[in-house]
Amino acid sequence: MRELCGEAIDAATAGGAGYADARAVTRRAQHVATKNGEVESVSDGETEGVGVRVLVDGAWGFACDRRLTVEGARSAAERAVAFARASAGRAGRRQVELAPAPAENGEYRTPAERDPVDVPLSEKVELCLRAEGAMQHEDVKITEATLRAQREERAFQSSEGADVYQEFVECGGGIDALAIRDGKVQIRSYPSAHGGSSSQSGWEYVEGLDLPGNAPRVGEEAAALLSADPCPSGVTTVVLDSEQMVLQVHESVGHPTELDRVYGTEAAYAGTSFLKPDDLGTLRYGSDLMNITADSTTPSGLGTFAYDDEGVPAGRQAVVEGGVLSGFLSSRETARQIGAGNGGSMRADGWSRMPLVRMTNLHLEPGEGSFDDLLADVGDGIFMCTNKSWSIDDKRLNFQFGTQIAWEIKKGKLGRMLRDATYMGTTPIFWAGLDAVAGPDEWQLYGLTNCGKGQPGQHAHVSHGTSAGRFRNVQVGIRDV
Amino acid sequence: MTSDGRALELAERAWRAAEADEADAVVQVEASGFARFAASEVHQPTLISDETITLRVVRDGKVGCAVTNRIDDDGLREMARRAAEAADSAPPDPGYAGLQPAVSVPDVAGYDADTAALTPEEQAGLAAQSIEAVPEFGLYGYFTSGTTETAVASSSGHAVSQRMTDASVLAIAASNDASGYAEATSWKAGDLDPAACAREAAEKAGRTRGATEIEAGTHAAILEPYAFSELLWYFGFSSLGALSCLEGRSYLSGRLGEKLFHESFTLIDDGLDPAGMPKAFDLEGVPKQRVTIVEDGVAKDVVWDRRTAKRAGEGRESSGHALTAPAQGFGPLPLNLSVRGGDVPTAELPERVGDGIYVTRLHYLGVVDPREGIITGMTRDGTFKIEGGKVTKPLVNLRFTTSFPKLVEGILGLSDEVALVNRSDYYDERYPFGTRVPAIATSAFTIVGTGSGPGL
Repeated sequence: MRELCGEAIDAATAGGAGYADARAVTRRAQHVATKNGEVESVSDGETEGVGVRVLVDGAWGFACDRRLTVEGARSAAERAVAFARASAGRAGRRQVELAPAPAENGEYRTPAERDPVDVPLSEKVELCLRAEGAMQHEDVKITEATLRAQREERAFQSSEGADVYQEFVECGGGIDALAIRDGKVQIRSYPSAHGGSSSQSGWEYVEGLDLPGNAPRVGEEAAALLSADPCPSGVTTVVLDSEQMVLQVHESVGHPTELDRVYGTEAAYAGTSFLKPDDLGTLRYGSDLMNITADSTTPSGLGTFAYDDEGVPAGRQAVVEGGVLSGFLSSRETARQIGAGNGGSMRADGWSRMPLVRMTNLHLEPGEGSFDDLLADVGDGIFMCTNKSWSIDDKRLNFQFGTQIAWEIKKGKLGRMLRDATYMGTTPIFWAGLDAVAGPDEWQLYGLTNCGKGQPGQHAHVSHGTSAGRFRNVQVGIRDV
Repeated sequence: MTSDGRALELAERAWRAAEADEADAVVQVEASGFARFAASEVHQPTLISDETITLRVVRDGKVGCAVTNRIDDDGLREMARRAAEAADSAPPDPGYAGLQPAVSVPDVAGYDADTAALTPEEQAGLAAQSIEAVPEFGLYGYFTSGTTETAVASSSGHAVSQRMTDASVLAIAASNDASGYAEATSWKAGDLDPAACAREAAEKAGRTRGATEIEAGTHAAILEPYAFSELLWYFGFSSLGALSCLEGRSYLSGRLGEKLFHESFTLIDDGLDPAGMPKAFDLEGVPKQRVTIVEDGVAKDVVWDRRTAKRAGEGRESSGHALTAPAQGFGPLPLNLSVRGGDVPTAELPERVGDGIYVTRLHYLGVVDPREGIITGMTRDGTFKIEGGKVTKPLVNLRFTTSFPKLVEGILGLSDEVALVNRSDYYDERYPFGTRVPAIATSAFTIVGTGSGPGL
């Protein structure tokens, strides 16, 4: 694959590219899904190809080819150059410039005890069925279990001399119980909603989830929600569990701090950002307890690598420090635009998409104390767990989230269970209300695989580490009035 | 790339490579160009070329799938090996409904040679037409066109293929304090006018400066086709497929046959309609059927695949709405929704509203309660007040949390014009689809909060 990248670079520069990079990727992905004690699907997929990105006359071009051959690599390069040249268009356009970055050479492989792709599919099927079997309850009408495993090889070279090779493995899964009675539907999931949680790890991660062990609770809670009271409407104190906090961080901090959004290049789809470049170092994002870190070196993070998809080495940076915006997620191009850093957050989905500025691993740094300490200072409030629905505006300001389950908090203790909990907020106002974050013992790492962006669309796999957090003066219980 | 029948040949080779009692292969071929632009410059042009095969095998009643884009003999053999291993890893599947028997499929429109022949230079040029039409605003969006070919072949003797073209232009005209939106889609690029699309967006943007807020509550509203299409799609995804209906998760579960919507609301799914993005068959090779989902306000049916039809029994058959086997967990989906137009000239819809809100398009929808059809999201790029039957002042982006059934129950009028709106975001394999909808005036659109103003 490295030789093919070299062929692509040669073809691109011979065609007139001032800069070129090439990514050759092979990916193997397995997916097992069971429902109500039956196997819904067992699939084992592979894809391979080469993607070439070029700068011609100051304009980008990208093309790809599924053939990992000299012909495929050169064809992709030539087409990328042609499209860049055609797109360079009119005189006076902004010339793309890149922040300098050393031409790295190196390799990386995910540390793993047991390659998840090598785990027999029969073992995965058996685990799903066993987990499902443990969720049984009279009112639970649908039980689901999913497991996934992926192995990816990625070779990257650039016309500046970068030459890196990386191998990634990841795996994960989850279980869901849907309780249905009298036309009402409630769902509970573990370890998180929307396909579970994943990790850049070997199969030992899935074994550690203990899906069968957690299944009875999941089924019982789903059934109990059918009889629970609805979340009341009003303004109150909200405590978010670490899983819902993942989504809160992802949507209201991760995406608005992607510098390409700040500069408007995602406006046609995912949107822009309420942040401006000049906000760096000055904008009050949240309370003093809000500390957000981007870290592409986090062990087991889905966004962990040795080099991003521009060949920039992994690193750790503060995004919000003491509530103040202190960093953006950037590329070499956007780093040059803002005049700081050299990128490190460029990632592409496979071989057939351009890299974009993406989250890697984005964490809410832990605070102090236990979960019970968070509750202790709540006279009246609501504890919300596990995401159910989500929506946020194009600048990442106004959001509305729903959770699967909630509990009333009265005088520092959890009380009655609540269903259909929702809350709404405006990003910096909401984060200004953060007045407690649980400590390191409560901090958990979650991985999601469905972060969408770009046109044509592409997915990113991202991890977030979070503890539970407490927010004051939050609007809850949004209804269709 | 494979073309002119070679996709079908590849599908045949794929299933024949399998060691199985039954096997089918779905081939999806793509050649596409995406001239994406921001700040009036093409900044992310992307050319994609790929051929993907999904092989499903059945061995002793056990079902497994494998996928590859290695189309040589070694690649097909390796795929067959993995599919067999996948099947052997599972117990027999009682829900498996068998392969589509050999049958002919209707001829459909949907392939345009001129669109297929567009070069990257021409794609970039069409994007430039949008950009150059609106010098007064930054332009954000894309021109894209593609040729896709889908083929299904199986051990039942069934063998079908279809080539399709698609083209879309999307434009957001924007400055720091203004933004407007427009888009157009067709399977013939020649039907599109990128400059006109950009001018429509710019005209809208010009009217969004000075936006103010509005009180939360249920308002009468007009949703342009862009907005109505997206709301309909989210409702359709969660409620109009047989799987969610059978499982009790759909708004229509237990409600088929009831009058649930306004009598002017008739909704079909018609994959054969040349005015949409026509498909002759689904991703099991089952011929597409026209399905009447709602007729004059009465809920009639949902869309089916072979698996859900078997589960329902009672002579139920697939209506041709299956996805590929690895994706069958989503159930059958309505990818060719079409709402019957009304009798109100579009320009007269505000009079039906009187006082309310005018919505151009939506952003980031989320299904809050699928059983009740409650959806949340934002308005964006052109939200206005309606006062005294006229569209007047601009509004900031608004958060809505609204019931789709109530919105449609509260129809005040439907425009006589119907537009095809693209619904693909081009993830994974390119599979063009869209909805055909009029603009809708309704008495029931619930606003729960405000967001940012229009603009960047």
